[in-house]
Order: sequence, then structure tokens, then C-alpha cells
Amino acid sequence: MRTSTMSLFFALACLCSVEAHAGWQDKLQNLMNPESREGKILSGATQVVSSSQEMSYSTERTVGESLALESMQRFGKPVPNEALQKYVNLVGNAVARNSRRSTIPYQFVVLDSPVRNAFAAPGGMIFVSRGLLDVVDNEAELAAVLAHEVGHVAEKHALKSIRRAQFLQGVGTISAATMKGGDGKKFESMIGDLQSTLFDKGLDQGMEYEADLAALETAYRTGYDPAAMVSVLQKLKKLEASDSGKGSWFSTHPPLDERIARLSSRLEKYPDHASLAKVPARFAKYVKVAKKGK
Amino acid sequence: MKKTTVALLLLALAAAPALGAEKRWVVSEGTELKAEQSVSAAKVAELPVGAELTLVEGAGRWLKVQSADGKEGWVYAGRVSDTQPVAEVGGGEGLFGDSLQKSQINTAKADSARSIRGLSPEVAQYAKQRGTPEALKKELDKILSRKVSDKEVRTFLKEGKIGEYAQ
Repeated sequence: MRTSTMSLFFALACLCSVEAHAGWQDKLQNLMNPESREGKILSGATQVVSSSQEMSYSTERTVGESLALESMQRFGKPVPNEALQKYVNLVGNAVARNSRRSTIPYQFVVLDSPVRNAFAAPGGMIFVSRGLLDVVDNEAELAAVLAHEVGHVAEKHALKSIRRAQFLQGVGTISAATMKGGDGKKFESMIGDLQSTLFDKGLDQGMEYEADLAALETAYRTGYDPAAMVSVLQKLKKLEASDSGKGSWFSTHPPLDERIARLSSRLEKYPDHASLAKVPARFAKYVKVAKKGK
Repeated sequence: MKKTTVALLLLALAAAPALGAEKRWVVSEGTELKAEQSVSAAKVAELPVGAELTLVEGAGRWLKVQSADGKEGWVYAGRVSDTQPVAEVGGGEGLFGDSLQKSQINTAKADSARSIRGLSPEVAQYAKQRGTPEALKKELDKILSRKVSDKEVRTFLKEGKIGEYAQ
């Protein structure tokens, strides 16, 4: 609600600043007229804001689960190792319950793919590839990667990135009935846009940095050393030159040097971080054993 | 008139310290207000997600706080934030601005119903339209039925000596 109010103020501020000498009182009066230029700008601003913010949780979850089906088509099925899946779910839920959005259900899934990547579907389903797990060396690093993805879910980044999609205009709650016909096609098109954003192009860089900072905070609150986020990125940096790129963390995330620099300076906010948990032994028990079994 | 002005000034002065007090919000489910700075200390009260707290003494991993109903105690710093948690939009109503408590119920309902009926009707409809293979629908159902309870997370953190369970 606060964001929509701010957006309205922003729209008003834009209108007032564009033509400061042209009688701003008149422009304010025109806001009430939907046919005026000012009225159309205001209407557009409110529509964009409402399209992502008025969506009910169940609708967001439907978007996420539909996207999950597509992600398995693209990257492969979950790794058939129940102990590993349970372990990753425990680490993920431990951090998720200390995130800014702790009341929704979260599921964490290891997909059987060598492509190094992780992504978050709207509503709380988070995927990490077997390839990315190969890079991680302890529980704190896994927690940091999952906390980064939880940060995307908490801030509804994926939905915000496609909020101009036709389907989302004015949609609050969808049902199986509204998924048929033309609306169903619009829904499918939106899932296609989301796939392109999450799997190919990547989210806006500002969103990635925001999720990085959220990961530090969430990992720290849970009791994991937040420096683990930096060490994962440093390991990925070493592998960057040899990675094919397509569909990987490298092609869908901002430059690693910049992220490492930003996060390293932010660690000053957590002076006692080095004393926090890293838990390499338990990680090895569940993940390294699974790697050997491959 | 003068009396009113004086009264208003006094009121403003009295309110000033309260306005300056630092606030924290509970972000984790299962948060407890403790009598001492320890996870094994006696429970003073249970604190729901979204509960507003006033910081009494803030240092280290445990914070001394006061709840809205005046109870004082210690809370693990990881369970609170200096910003309010995200409020959910209710399940069927589609109304922004539902109370956090109400939305939690809606969210929980949406989740618990799932394990009984498999995929939601909306996702099943999407899968039908897209011709999604049966095997993948089953995989999604398995993912959704994998639940982690609060108790399991606590045990997990305790075994790893993490957060409030660190020595």
C-alpha cells in the first residue's frame, strides 16, 4: 500500500517537474479527467502498481507452480535422492523463516542438471541445480545461495519484472475456469515471459543486488556466516572462464566482480560474522556423498 | 485557550520518548519471549509474526524487548527485523491490506489442502493445456508434498549448533 502511495506521489512529482512553468495547478486538476494526458499517465502508474501488488497469494502460487513444470522440462527432474532433497529443504526453510516473507510455504528442489544455476519461482518454490551444488563446500554457502533466492521471492522480483504482461493487468485471483480460452492463452504467454526472464535474460541487476544483501541479512539472522555468500561467488568467478554460459548463473546474473565487491564491503555490518556457523561436516554427509554417488 | 495549549505541549513532551523508541518486528514463526538470554530459558510469551516490539536494550545476539501488552523479556536477534515483514494478500478475496494474521491462515489453508488433492485445479488446467507429461506432474506433486515442520527446523538448527543454539 505504501509503495502504491509512493508511486502516485512519484507520478505526481514527474508531472509537476516536466513542465514546471506551465501551470501545475491545471495539471493537478487534469488528473481527475481520465481522457487528459495527465489522467492517462496516472491511470498507467496505478495499473502497473496494482498489477503485481493486488495479486492474491494463491494466484502467485499458481504462477510459480506452472513455471516449476516448465523448469523441469528445461533443466531436468529433481535428483532422486530423498535424503538430499530433505536436507536442502531443512537448510532452505531455516533461512526462509528469518526472511522478510516468512509466512508462506517454501519448497527447495535440487534439479538433476549440470548447468550451474539457481532460480526462484513466484510463491516460494526454489530450484538449485546439481551443477551449482558441486561448487558449494559447506552448509553456510548453501544457506547463502538459498537465502539469495528467498530474497527474490520475498520482494516478488519475478512478478515485478513482468508486471506489464497482459495477463496481470487487473488480475487478483485466478481459478481453473479463468485459465481456459483467451485468458488461458494470456496466462501461458506470461509463463513464457517469465521463463525467458528467469532462465535466459536474468532479472534486473538492481534486483540481484537487493537479493544479495537480503541473503547476507537472512543468513546472519539465522546464524550462518554471511561471508559464505562472497566465497560462493569467488568460486564461481574462478569457473567463469570455463563455463559455456548458456542458461547458467553467469548469463543470468550481474558481473561477479561487482557483486563480490559490494558484498565484501557490506560484511562490515556484521563484525562478528566469522564466529558464526559454517557446518562443513553435515554438508559433506548429505551432499558430497550424493556427488560421489553420481 | 492557554490551558489547552499547555496541555498539548505536555502531551507532546510525554509522547516524545515513545516516538524515539526503536521498534522491531517479529519475522519468524514460533518466536518466544524468554526470561533470560538463552533458548532454554523460561518462556514469557509467544510472539506472532508481525508483532511490534519496543527495544529496551539492544546489543549482541539477544535483545531485551517489550511487547505491545507490556511484557518484557529477551528475544533472539535473528527472529526480529527493523522493518515490517511482508503482508500477504488473502487467498480468495484478492484484497490488499488483509491483516497479516488473517492472511497467514489463508496461506496455510492453501498449502494444507494440496497434499490431499495433488496439483491445484489451476495448475492441473495449465498442465492439460500445455500437454505436460504425467511424470513431471507427479514430480511436482512430490515436491509440494515434501513438508518441513517448525520442530524439524529447530532440531536441525540445534544439531548444527546454529543461531540461538550456538554455544
